[in-house]
Amino acid sequence: MSATTTQPAARAEGLRKVYGRGDASVEALRGVTLDLAAGEWTAIMGPSGSGKSTLLHILAGLDAPTDGKVFIGDVDLTTLNDKQLTQLRRDRVGFVFQAFNLIPTLTARENITLPLDIAGTDVDPTWFDTVVDTIGLRDRLSHRPTELSGGQQQRVAGARALLSKPEIVFADEPTGNLDSRSSAELLTFLRSAVDQHGQTIVMVTHDAHAAAHADRIVFLSDGRVVQEMREPTAERILDELKSLEG
Amino acid sequence: MLRATIKSLMARKLRLLLTALAIVLGVGFMAGTLMLTDTATGAFDELIGQTFQGIDVVVQGHADFQPGAQGGNTGGSETEPIPDTLLPEVLAVPGVVAADGDVSGSAQLVDPVTDKAIANGGAPTLGNSWNPTVTSLIIKDGAPPAGPGDVAIDAATAADHQLVVGQDVEVITNAGAASYRISGIVALENSDSFLGATLVLFDLPTAQHAFHREGKFDRIYVKTDGSTPLSSVIAGIGDVLPQGFEAISSQDAADQQIKQTQQALGFLRTGLLVFGFVAVFVGAFIIFNTFTIIVTQRTRELGLLRAIGASRRQIMGSVLVEAVIVGLVASAIGLGFGLLLAQGLKVVMSWIGLDLPPTATVIQSRTIVVAVIVGTGVTVLASVFPARRAARITPIEALREGQAPSASLRRRSIVGGIVLTLGLAALFAGLFGGVSSGASVVGLGAALTFLGAAILAPLISRPLASWIGAPFKGRAISGRLGRQNAMRNPRRTAATASALMIGLGLVAFVAVFAASLKASAAAALDDQLKSDLTVSNQQFQPFSPKITEALGERPEFNAVVPFRQVEVKVGGSSNFVTGTDPIDAGAIIDTTTTAGTFTDLSQPGAVALAKRVADDKGIHVGDTLEMTFARTGPQDLKVVAIYPESTLLGDYAVSLDTYDANAAQILDFITFIHLADGVTAEQGAAAASEALKDYPNVEAKDQAATKAQQSQAIDQVLAFVLVLLLLSIIIAVFGIVNTLGLSIYERVRELGLVRAVGMSRKQVKRMVRVEAVIIAVLGAVLGMVIGIAFGWALQRALAPLGIDRLAIPVGQLILYLIVAALCGVLASIWPARRAAKLNVLEAISYE
Repeated sequence: MSATTTQPAARAEGLRKVYGRGDASVEALRGVTLDLAAGEWTAIMGPSGSGKSTLLHILAGLDAPTDGKVFIGDVDLTTLNDKQLTQLRRDRVGFVFQAFNLIPTLTARENITLPLDIAGTDVDPTWFDTVVDTIGLRDRLSHRPTELSGGQQQRVAGARALLSKPEIVFADEPTGNLDSRSSAELLTFLRSAVDQHGQTIVMVTHDAHAAAHADRIVFLSDGRVVQEMREPTAERILDELKSLEG
Repeated sequence: MLRATIKSLMARKLRLLLTALAIVLGVGFMAGTLMLTDTATGAFDELIGQTFQGIDVVVQGHADFQPGAQGGNTGGSETEPIPDTLLPEVLAVPGVVAADGDVSGSAQLVDPVTDKAIANGGAPTLGNSWNPTVTSLIIKDGAPPAGPGDVAIDAATAADHQLVVGQDVEVITNAGAASYRISGIVALENSDSFLGATLVLFDLPTAQHAFHREGKFDRIYVKTDGSTPLSSVIAGIGDVLPQGFEAISSQDAADQQIKQTQQALGFLRTGLLVFGFVAVFVGAFIIFNTFTIIVTQRTRELGLLRAIGASRRQIMGSVLVEAVIVGLVASAIGLGFGLLLAQGLKVVMSWIGLDLPPTATVIQSRTIVVAVIVGTGVTVLASVFPARRAARITPIEALREGQAPSASLRRRSIVGGIVLTLGLAALFAGLFGGVSSGASVVGLGAALTFLGAAILAPLISRPLASWIGAPFKGRAISGRLGRQNAMRNPRRTAATASALMIGLGLVAFVAVFAASLKASAAAALDDQLKSDLTVSNQQFQPFSPKITEALGERPEFNAVVPFRQVEVKVGGSSNFVTGTDPIDAGAIIDTTTTAGTFTDLSQPGAVALAKRVADDKGIHVGDTLEMTFARTGPQDLKVVAIYPESTLLGDYAVSLDTYDANAAQILDFITFIHLADGVTAEQGAAAASEALKDYPNVEAKDQAATKAQQSQAIDQVLAFVLVLLLLSIIIAVFGIVNTLGLSIYERVRELGLVRAVGMSRKQVKRMVRVEAVIIAVLGAVLGMVIGIAFGWALQRALAPLGIDRLAIPVGQLILYLIVAALCGVLASIWPARRAAKLNVLEAISYE
């Protein structure tokens, strides 16, 4: 798949985010402009407090910016009300969180189909099979989350994010709670989603090894984009992070 | 440690309040009941005290026992009348300055506008002689009654019905209906009200005629000079009285009456307190559940406290201190709520004829003590198990994600099984075993049964919730998730549902019992009654035999048979004896006997009794039965007949002559009519209403209308009980609100997740609603099963008394089930809104 297309999957324009008021106010984002190309895996990195999680939340329509614009496709999220945002999350966006990704009362299969069930749309069986085969958990579909390992749980979450064929998948520290082997499993799965199905992924992480799987890395510091990197390696990332913190 | 407890409590004020609410309502109801009955007692004491003002000594026939409240509505006393020739002798006793002969009975006013008998619910309709020299009444307007055509009436009734001096009004007494002119309006010195009773005063000869006391008095009221010691006046009067009469101080006479009203109010108090206890019992479940959930949610916090050195005892103590604070707060608010409720209950009481004066509500220190002890005690008791659970948390659990492991289900099933078995055993012993104080044993048994069922409920709540939620299974995801949530924590679901189970169990029980009562009563009418018309008062107050006499004169009827009832004692226990016409009775009821002949009852001093009673006492035809009448004392009656169970005759029956010889108030309770051959139903009804033209206090009804009246009366009681049970259902609904609220707090991340992946607020609300409905219906289903079983058991136990049919009002029960589901919807409103309002971002962030 091509790394660049004419229209980006998502776009941020002059994003500012201020928490609190007056003296107590904290400026988490100080004017971020960013294009996220379709079919590309972007990792957002930066030291603690750099605003990377805030950026992800705003891009995903979970939080509203104080200033600026956010687009998914050509829709400006800042103009949408809560209902429309819910609709957008349901139809055009997928999520993988760090933890608590799955509903404990539902089986793996039910968790994967949850967004479609919420939307009341039918599951495409071929696509379901494809996704399930990619995560390699066909034999565990009837298990509940408590009966799955951490890595398996995150892969189920990944499958859920992909099943509705969203325009963009947001992953917030998806490997944060995983050991290195489980991490590798999940990242390989995400990589194949990008390579084989042209999935757009935006991932926040502080793990250089995880970020190294991405196509492009955006470094944030003090609420600003400070650096970009293509074809990253773990060493280069670590060097860059060191320079940011130092 | 204490400071930590209080701080954590204050941080959760809303939850504290919600938890306390469960206890507030129950305690409030109990406190309100106590305040109301204390107020009523005070009002009656005051009224009785006032009526005896200016009277020092009362002369009356000696009563062998004081008939209970049931006999109180006739307005007259069950004592031997005093010959009026005694009055001069009493007046001649040294120290006596004045004395009036007093006659009393039931006198019913007819409202001239509506032409209906004036009746304030079940309040007495008192008729009395005007006692010119010793009365405590004052004339507010007009003059005292001074001739055969005069009456004076009380100011409250006059005001309520716009009656004025000079107006003509019809009054129904023992002597029949007659028109009188209102000569005056009377009142007590500082109150117009007789607490709902109506009062009609006649001059002495008129009263003697109206109440069949020609040449006689019911009492003599004596005023003394004040200087002669009261005891010597009483002794002096006693010397002139023949056998069977007594002179007592007015203080003693007042005390007798006060004792009687207190007994009646005692029944009311106990009856209402039962509902308060039920509410508190239900509240205990809510407290238990809330504390259990809180302890579970605080596992990490408590584990941390343990890790930094808090002992198990301190942890347990901290939970119990929290319970004590909640209990005290709840009791205090409950007292306030009780005060409000007492005002509301006053209004309810006025519907059934007890008009309490608008004076301050009496709050005895006993009421406060009871409220605080019950409120705090129950809260602490209910939190003991959660506290023990909290103490079992190990420090390591502070570090572990997830919930404390729960105790084994096996122990739960053993404990639950034992409690349930004990409860059922007590229930059956109370109902069928003939143990003393059966009612308390049955109550205890019922409470234990509910408790046992609640302990066992988690064992079946998962499959049951799954089954109840089945309609949501294949449907939208929100419904499916709601169903899953109801199933995920069977203990919590079961404990929440249990609270509703108790309320609905009792509702189903009274519904089944009431339906059985109606069916049995209707069947009894069909089986036993051969009459065409039934004449009775709407409130089932006794009425003048003149009415029966008037009916008897009609040629359209070939049998007109009155039934009278008076309280008697047989073998030390209270019962009622029915007086009827043994010859004509055969025309209107089934008088088949199992031994002896019913018509032999017309022999003097004869008695017939129900087979059950005869078997019980080992009595046969020809034996002698000692029956004690209040007026005449012990009487040896000859048993001439034994009849099968009869709702109409009751346990004992005598002839009208025997009845009249031993009872002081000769009033009919119900009269049955059999039409003569060739008279159509229409003609019969027309003849009856013609004969009853002057007597609006009674109505003639055919069988169908009688049945309808009966079931209406039962329905009224049912409705009253249901209203009282509503309280515990409201508490149970609060329980669901509380549990769902706490569960949502627990599932914040989950809710955030489903919202993040696209669930709308509406869908979230629906999810919570489905869970609430499943919990509510689960509780209702469990309750219905227990309630129907209770109803069946009580019906079986009372079958020998004539409640021989079991009726299950299916439609009604289904309606209650729907109402329960709606209660679930209601309970979910607040938690659902909370869940929907949740900030997605906060829910899914980890910092």
